[in-house]
Amino acid sequence: MESMIYAENLRKEFKKIIKEPGLKGSVKSLFHPKKEIVKAVDGISFEVPKGEILGFIGPNGAGKSTVIKMLTGILMPTSGMCRINGKIPQEDRKNYVREIGVVFGQRTQLWWDLALRETYAVLKEIYQVPDDQYQKRMAFLNEVLELDSFITSPVRTLSLGQRMRADIAASLLHSPKVLFLDEPTIGLDVVVKDNIRNAIMKINKEEGTTVILTTHDLADIELLCERIVMIDKGKKVFDGGLSELKRNFGDVRTLEFELVNAPDFKLLDYHRRFHLTEDELSAERDGSLARVRFDTAEVSVEDVISYTLSTVHVKDLNIKGVEIEEIIKRLYRREVSL
Amino acid sequence: MSRIKRFFRTYKPFTRAGMQEMIAYRANFICHLIGEIMAAFIMYFVWKAVFLSSDSETFMGFTMEDMVVYIFITFLTGYMTYSDGAFAVGEEIIDGSIAMRMIKPCSFEMCFLFQELGSRLISISMIFVPMVAGVEIYRYAVCGEVRFQIGYFLLYIVSLLLAYMISFYFNVCYGFMAFFFKNLWGTTLIKETLISFLSGAIIPLAFMPSGLAAVLNILPFASLSYTPVMIYMGMYSTSQILWSFGLQIFWVVVMYGVTKLIWRSAVRYLSVQGG
Repeated sequence: MESMIYAENLRKEFKKIIKEPGLKGSVKSLFHPKKEIVKAVDGISFEVPKGEILGFIGPNGAGKSTVIKMLTGILMPTSGMCRINGKIPQEDRKNYVREIGVVFGQRTQLWWDLALRETYAVLKEIYQVPDDQYQKRMAFLNEVLELDSFITSPVRTLSLGQRMRADIAASLLHSPKVLFLDEPTIGLDVVVKDNIRNAIMKINKEEGTTVILTTHDLADIELLCERIVMIDKGKKVFDGGLSELKRNFGDVRTLEFELVNAPDFKLLDYHRRFHLTEDELSAERDGSLARVRFDTAEVSVEDVISYTLSTVHVKDLNIKGVEIEEIIKRLYRREVSL
Repeated sequence: MSRIKRFFRTYKPFTRAGMQEMIAYRANFICHLIGEIMAAFIMYFVWKAVFLSSDSETFMGFTMEDMVVYIFITFLTGYMTYSDGAFAVGEEIIDGSIAMRMIKPCSFEMCFLFQELGSRLISISMIFVPMVAGVEIYRYAVCGEVRFQIGYFLLYIVSLLLAYMISFYFNVCYGFMAFFFKNLWGTTLIKETLISFLSGAIIPLAFMPSGLAAVLNILPFASLSYTPVMIYMGMYSTSQILWSFGLQIFWVVVMYGVTKLIWRSAVRYLSVQGG
């Protein structure tokens, strides 16, 4: 069976005009613009089977949004190709967008001046959703996204959390086969984030919708995604499951010891004791807390705890679970490539 | 048939939103209206001075009464055909949200059009009827007879609608200039001044040298204001009316075509260069 999303060697270059500083530079660039080619996406290939939720991560400016924009047909790849749902987005945009749903967290696709209810009525007509299906759909979206309390308000008066829920509902109204979410949880509080994650999960489970989402919130990834593609500087640096990521890049733990006597922190010298570098283990003091982060491949939790307890007096101990954030941080820092 | 029904069902909410918006921003609407009416009265006093200083009753074929009708119906026409599609398009280009229109299978300019129709409906009820009534009462007071002719009035409405369509598409095209200028404030001032001169809103085209008048008559700007006003005043013969309707329709089609063309190349530009 062919994949729902298929991208091969996608590349996107932008021409950027470089302005020299000052007024003189402005005038100069008006007549002789100096152009520089910026490679936003540099040869990315991946596939997503039907019904999978794929997490797309990478630091700011890595090219995540550019990839999403190419997949949704907004941008034309400089070279390479992508095929989604058997269609090439750039070839027949109007037909292609009928079967996808898109949310850009930073922007709204809702009409600013319309009441939310009207917006959905318009979308119903545009996507030609039959009446009974529309009723069912609205009831479902209402239930998971709790739209009821603001459905009669104009979009411009909605709060960010309301607007994002409304946007997601709008992208799902026509039961798309593929859902593209570009930072759907940006700037939201915990409750709304939870709401949105539930909606995504439910849609994926019940309808087998294929989902691609980009995010900086790694909780999104842990809760939703079976697979991750990580990109950095326009290149793919990792493609695989969450557990694989942890295996490959080590299992990082954080231990927090609350010291009885804060200055005792000096006595702890993990690096010498375990012969580790700063990268493999980091220890820092935060008030009376000693925070130790380390890779369990290098040293065991047990060893670190017993060394600490034998060296200083400890009032309390807190073990934090695996933080993929930490793995990713290290990955970004080291610019590891696979 | 069902396609037409769906078309109207799709865009009807925009009309309602346009009306609501007009009501929500009513102070703005009223101030704007007062400003426009003041400008019309200034024109009136200027022309009154011209007529008083002249020895003859008529000036280039216009009586003072004609001139008053011309000024106020021109004002009304200008007000009814005013379109701010340019701002909407311009703003979307500047903040990049125009890209969001590409992920929806619907026509971007129809959303603007129907929204504007909503606000037009409000202004029709607020000023169109009182304005026409006022002008006609004045005419009756001056001439002592009813000069209002329903036939010309209906033709005027048709011409006004065509003028609005030209204005709408022209302004949408103009809005795309934001791709080059980034900000449309300054150029809008130039545009408005040029149009009010070229469309005969300041000086009737009949007063201009015949060569210039002939050229201006063919340009789309005369179709925006001068043509409907002349029809209202009954200054055009049947053949002139037919000809100017033809010309108005021609310009609607041209402006529509240009809008589609620019939209297509804008999409291409966006998809190559990014928003």
